[in-house]
Amino acid sequence: MPCLDMAQIQELKDIMEDAFDDLVITYLHDCEQKLSSLDLAIKDSESNKIAELAHSIKGASSNICATDLAELCKKVEDSGRADELAKVPEYYHQILEEFQQVKLQLSEART
Amino acid sequence: MDEGQLNILIADDNQSDRMILSAIVKKMGHQVCEAADGLEAIEQYTNQSPDIILLDVLMPNMNGQQAAIEIKQLAGEDMVPIIFLTSLQDASDLAACLESGGDDFLSKPYNKVILQAKINAFSRMLKMHNTLQEQRDVIRENNEHMRHEQQVARAVYDNVAHSGCLDLPNIKYLLSPFSIFNGDVLLAARRPSGSVHILLGDFTGHGLPAAIGAMPLAEIFYGMTAKGFLMSDILREINAKLKNILPVGYFCCTCMVNLSFRRQQIEVWMGGLPDFALYREASGIVEHIKSKHLPLGVLSSSAFNPETQEFSFKPGDKFYMWSDGIIESRDESGELFGEERLFSIFNGKNPDLFFDNILDSMDTFAGESGRDDDTTLLELSMVNESVVGTVDIDLSSGAITGPTDWHLSYTLRDDTLKTFNPLPMMLNILNDVPSLRSISGQLYTLMAELFSNAFEHGVLGLDSSLKSSADGFAEYYKQRETAMKMMKDDFVKFEFDLAPSQDGGTLTIVVEDSGDGFDHKRINGQKEINLAYCGRGIPLIYSLCDSLTYHGNGNKVEVRLSWDAQIEE
Repeated sequence: MPCLDMAQIQELKDIMEDAFDDLVITYLHDCEQKLSSLDLAIKDSESNKIAELAHSIKGASSNICATDLAELCKKVEDSGRADELAKVPEYYHQILEEFQQVKLQLSEART
Repeated sequence: MDEGQLNILIADDNQSDRMILSAIVKKMGHQVCEAADGLEAIEQYTNQSPDIILLDVLMPNMNGQQAAIEIKQLAGEDMVPIIFLTSLQDASDLAACLESGGDDFLSKPYNKVILQAKINAFSRMLKMHNTLQEQRDVIRENNEHMRHEQQVARAVYDNVAHSGCLDLPNIKYLLSPFSIFNGDVLLAARRPSGSVHILLGDFTGHGLPAAIGAMPLAEIFYGMTAKGFLMSDILREINAKLKNILPVGYFCCTCMVNLSFRRQQIEVWMGGLPDFALYREASGIVEHIKSKHLPLGVLSSSAFNPETQEFSFKPGDKFYMWSDGIIESRDESGELFGEERLFSIFNGKNPDLFFDNILDSMDTFAGESGRDDDTTLLELSMVNESVVGTVDIDLSSGAITGPTDWHLSYTLRDDTLKTFNPLPMMLNILNDVPSLRSISGQLYTLMAELFSNAFEHGVLGLDSSLKSSADGFAEYYKQRETAMKMMKDDFVKFEFDLAPSQDGGTLTIVVEDSGDGFDHKRINGQKEINLAYCGRGIPLIYSLCDSLTYHGNGNKVEVRLSWDAQIEE
């Protein structure tokens, strides 16, 4: 099951032209940093921080056409805002798995 | 920068988001500057002055809403559209964005087409706003320019239509300007003879159009009054001038007054004004003085009638004139102040307070809602001439040295004698002599007496004793009319001779007429005059000159005035 909307990816490539590779690299680097920050925040049960980081990853992911990843981030963001963290570790795992898929497919989309 | 190219600030903490937006915006041909948080966004706004801002809502350091508030404050009157970038869904969150100064939203994931449409829409709005601001600035500049011009014009106006001798102790007045220029004109000047000319004019309209008409009016009034012209001559001249220069429908409601201290009377010409008040101290009665003419500037010269009304004016009597702004002022309910209310003020016990009472009662009546026209009020009181002092002739005009050695002969024959007053013209010539200018008033009186003697008593043969009673006055003028019709080959001849001496000079005036003369032998050479000759004004003439001699059978008189250099200083 493709985790990227490939039609949108094509549009994004048209917009970015040569900068598409840079965009992918930047996005992935940024996301990895934020994911590790999110991991820490979850361990410390910092609801606000969790919501903030999830919101940020959600926005960037939706823009890079990773719709499913954005969906998962929204769940974490909502939980953080509601200060109901019970399911958050589970979501986080799903996010990590999804991110690996996104990373793979984005790399394929390059070249 | 190309036409239509904008500078767009992108503020988002996600670098990848900035990259995507930046790529879209650059593809549209705009310039981009970037910021990674709210503080940076404000900094970039200050340094780069972007035209449009794309602002992420949730950012570290300072969030988008706070940044929007600060940027809008910095922008002041400039328009800076802010488009919030958001994936927020909650309605109250979106509303909070707009309240902080946002103009629109763009939701994630970004849609190229929608972003382009929004940027284009704001670009049009910016253009319109800039045009408006430019036009506003032009209007502001024009307005400032106009105000400046008006101030300069005002200075010129004040020099021309100055208040003259309104500061005389027997005049109280109020001129309240409705705008920078006043539709009302109030002028006062002394004639060489010492009497006072006052003119109140109320032009149709206000401001510049009214002020423009006032300038030639004032010019003529002051110029002709100083040269000794009569009220009727001055009014005729002003009417002709205004008729000539004012557009149809514009005119000047006018009251002109000549106050003679010696004769204790006022002569009034009124056109187009409401009733004025003449207060008699002896009886306490207030007379309504009515306009008998159309305003100045309406009739052609041939139809114009300069006829005046004469009233005796004893010490303590007061004459009040006003513009219709007083009668037409309204109270809060819109009721007019009105003539009745105004005249009732003269029923008061203390005439000295009438002037202040009118002002007080108007202010009380109109209150804040106030005056919707120019309000002008003047009180003229009869006093002894010594209270107002002698005429201060303007020494600044004319040649510096002037003619000092000359002879002039001037003969007036029948037709001229009937219609023409030669005094202003002759006085003008004498005023070119600096030493004589300072005694211009005396000279005028002297020549007026000499001329009236030669013409009325000499040529027309009228008996001055008639004038001692009121009936006689009428009879005198009747005889005068008849005698004028009978004139044939008559003349009055003036000869002026000005001779310099070491320290000053001597002016000799010889006046000869075609009449039969009179028995002058009894008075020649003696300064104590029999009262019977008062009609010929001889004591007055004596008092004004150094010597007076009659020649022949009394139809030729010679007067002499000498002065030394000190008079000139």
